[in-house]
Amino acid sequence: MSKSLSRTLGLASAAAAVLAAASAGAAEPIKVGISIAQSPPGSVVQGTQVRDGLEIMKDILNKQGGVLGRPIALVYEDDQGIPEKGRAAVEKLISRDKVVAITGGHQSSVCLAAMEVAKRSDIPYINTNCWSDDIRKKGYAQVFNPSNYNSRVAFAMAETLAGLGAKRVVAYCENTDYGIGQAKAVAEALKKRAPNVEYRYETLDRAGKDFTPAVLPLRANPPDAVLTMMLPPAAYILMNQLYEQGVAPSAKTWLYDGAGIGDYPDFWQNVKEAGKDMIEFGLYHPEMGVPKLGREVGTTYQQKTKNEPNRLIFQAADSLLLIAEAIKQAKSTDGKAMIKAMESMTFSGVRGSFRFSAEPGITHHQWADIPYVTYQFTEVGQPVSKTHLVQGPNLPLSVSKLEKPAR
Amino acid sequence: MARPRALASLGPALPFALLGAVALLPLAVSDSYWLGVLVVSMYFALISSGWNLLAGYTGQFSLAPAAFAMIGAYTTGLLCVYSGVSPWVGIAAAVGATAVIGMALGRIVMRLSGPYLALTTLSFAEIARLVIANSYNVTRGDLGLNVPGLFEERLAYYYLFLGALAAVQVGLLVLLRSPSGLYLKAIRDDEVAAASRGVDVVFWKTAAFTASTAVAGLAGALYGHFSQLVSPELGLITQSGLVICMVVIGGMGTLVGPLAGAFLVYLLSEVLREVGGVQLIVFALAVILFARFFREGLAGLARRAGLGKLA
Amino acid sequence: MLNVDLLVNGLIVGVLYALMAVGLSLIFGILKVVNFAHGELYMLGSYAYTLAAAALGISPWLAVPVALAVGALVGWAAERLLMRPLYAGYSSWGLMRDEYAVVVTFALSILLVNLVDKVVGPYPRRGPALLDLPRMPLGPVMLSGQKLVATAVGLVVIAALTLSMRYTLWGKQIQAVAQNRLGASLAGIDTARASSAVFSAAGALAALAGALLAPIINASPDVGAFPAVKSYVIVVLGGMGSMPGSIVASLALGVLESFGAVYVSYDYRDTFGLLILVLVLLVRPQGLFGERGRVV
Repeated sequence: MSKSLSRTLGLASAAAAVLAAASAGAAEPIKVGISIAQSPPGSVVQGTQVRDGLEIMKDILNKQGGVLGRPIALVYEDDQGIPEKGRAAVEKLISRDKVVAITGGHQSSVCLAAMEVAKRSDIPYINTNCWSDDIRKKGYAQVFNPSNYNSRVAFAMAETLAGLGAKRVVAYCENTDYGIGQAKAVAEALKKRAPNVEYRYETLDRAGKDFTPAVLPLRANPPDAVLTMMLPPAAYILMNQLYEQGVAPSAKTWLYDGAGIGDYPDFWQNVKEAGKDMIEFGLYHPEMGVPKLGREVGTTYQQKTKNEPNRLIFQAADSLLLIAEAIKQAKSTDGKAMIKAMESMTFSGVRGSFRFSAEPGITHHQWADIPYVTYQFTEVGQPVSKTHLVQGPNLPLSVSKLEKPAR
Repeated sequence: MARPRALASLGPALPFALLGAVALLPLAVSDSYWLGVLVVSMYFALISSGWNLLAGYTGQFSLAPAAFAMIGAYTTGLLCVYSGVSPWVGIAAAVGATAVIGMALGRIVMRLSGPYLALTTLSFAEIARLVIANSYNVTRGDLGLNVPGLFEERLAYYYLFLGALAAVQVGLLVLLRSPSGLYLKAIRDDEVAAASRGVDVVFWKTAAFTASTAVAGLAGALYGHFSQLVSPELGLITQSGLVICMVVIGGMGTLVGPLAGAFLVYLLSEVLREVGGVQLIVFALAVILFARFFREGLAGLARRAGLGKLA
Repeated sequence: MLNVDLLVNGLIVGVLYALMAVGLSLIFGILKVVNFAHGELYMLGSYAYTLAAAALGISPWLAVPVALAVGALVGWAAERLLMRPLYAGYSSWGLMRDEYAVVVTFALSILLVNLVDKVVGPYPRRGPALLDLPRMPLGPVMLSGQKLVATAVGLVVIAALTLSMRYTLWGKQIQAVAQNRLGASLAGIDTARASSAVFSAAGALAALAGALLAPIINASPDVGAFPAVKSYVIVVLGGMGSMPGSIVASLALGVLESFGAVYVSYDYRDTFGLLILVLVLLVRPQGLFGERGRVV
């Protein structure tokens, strides 16, 4: 080999190395598909928070150099909270954008339709905030649930209602898989925990504007507790009308929300007096304590939006982190390999560490003992951080801490 | 008052030329996403064609086309889920059911015209949608009903929809070229005069109503099995609005108009999706401009450009 | 007690329905078309009120006229830009006339919903209460202060409108155009101006309903669909174009829905009015109070 030739080759390989390095910096991003509600009738409040949480985690991951040397890119689709739109959105994300995983889902009915598409294409589907037990019961290998589930809330609510000694309970649930599912789960849980409670539920249209006719019949004979299982804006309208009619919260009747809406940024702006004395099921409370990465996510969110962080921010951040971890462990963006990795990993997320249960049924691919709290608002406009825990994470309930409304 | 004559004379060859081009498209488009978009376009083209028979050729302005698609989709969906019949039987039943309901509604609204007809059909559409959406225990309401698919391959759905669309076009062409087509147009142009010349106005109006709802029912049933999810969304008034806009943009009272309108509007809104949530704004503006300044639709524009001589 | 509650709540809802339906009825009277964008004027009023009170920091009582002005302006613009061809070039329209009206108002409705969604954002917003008394016992009936104010304002406005239609020159001119456009113009009435006035008034009324209800029903881009469908039912029941008819029909529908929701079916309560509409048209195609029109 002549000297000049070898020098040329040497130069060429150096150039190739430079090129390779450059392309790693500008490596083709790993696309993750996000299907959330960005317009009505979907819950836009939820969708926006999920997006905020995902963006924060995406920035954290990309600052660390991405995954497998490739940056993460999020591709959004607006599902409007409508199953049919969600199905089409996921279809588009998978077939057109070639995303490696789907996440962001926050309304059960949409999740149930969208996960069918993910199953058909064998793409991992990370459920950010869909609570319906049916999602778990389907037992799809592609679906993972680092989120909360209806039976868990039902168990918590039955505990509290038993502790309060409630005898008659009425629930208002929205006409979705989440709402009807939760109302039925509470019936089951009460049968086990407090079989003497007389319980019934009424289904309300989530697009409804006036629930007065549904509330009025309670005035003559108010129950001991009214449960709400609805998302805003319908939940806010219902709460205001319950308050206006003097049904709940009142000296006779507790108001107990099972949908966890008390930590939404627009909660107090919409309910005012009607929210005072409400008992709340919560998946995040500042007193719960989160790992260091969780605190980073929380502070970033607070700096960005001036709002207190809430569960949706953490759940969304965890959803994306889980996908990143799965890719890292599988060393590939192949759907099957990622699913295998998630089934066996111990995931250390922003809310703590857990493994996905392999048991079929309501805890399939689920963070089975996801921690929750119960708290009560005692002032109008009270931020969650100022509320008092009635039940800490994995701790017994102390009903005596609940304040009965004076009005 | 008669519609411009040249519109109706726009060639019968045009719709089939368009469908021929659509048949060849999969040679160039293999992406399953875009095939899906084209399938949905054909779904709208089917409903639009049926509605055009009623509104464009018979002068009956119904606001319920999407509701009949929804009824068709639920007919086969509920039959498949609860009786376990084959989807093909379900689709046939859907066509039958929407035809029967269409005939009944057609008889009822026969005496009404203009805004009364529009509002009555709108009310019917809303009742049908509200009943389906609120009968959670049977229909799963807003959550949608999961129904079985027909094929594994998207291409198979593509040619199924195309076949249905072609069959409907042939049917329309045969109908409009026979004396019955003349009766329909006579009713549209002057109902009283048509009746005085011995045209059985009630019979032919009902027939047009029935045919148009059956086509919508067929479209809805096929769509249900294609998307494998049937929901009350299919019957929203805005969906009917979309169908009407497609026909108006394409050109009412022509065979090719509804087809061209459906493909153009649906593909346009899909392309505009990239621009970021403005597709409905652009689209609504386009419809207003079309209705305001190009009343004869695309078909009229084409005629002005000299294409009408193709006929 | 429940029945008194239901009656009072039904009448309150009825008054607010009337604010919407009267405008739609006036439009039908003068142009013989249904305005399918009527609900969006309600929506714009709801937003104008909420945003003016929140963003400009003005008193809610001053935000109500802002909403009225927005509704009137949009109504006027819609008439000038889109409705003129309905009577300006009337003869050349022929069959396309009804269809044109449906198509443009439908498209206008889609346009307004999506424009607001894009510009203001899809978040539901609650307007400030005019009378911030969330719970007000009124005899055996519980009301919110806002419902009371909304009903009172609604009643006053409807009464004023009914009287002015009957006794002012403007009202008489509008009635004349509604009865016979050609005849009215021969008598020297500026029919175009009458049409503009009707559209502006209808827009302002719908926007007023939106403003009054904003503290009860949050403003959101799609909020107009529900009052719009109710007002379609009402104008048919009341006889299209008949103002007293639509007021009676509004109250009747409010009461009917209120009782029906409790005693018949809560889930299907929105279908009652629609069912009655279909039945009424079968028996009396011109509506309950409408005059039988001539068939030409």
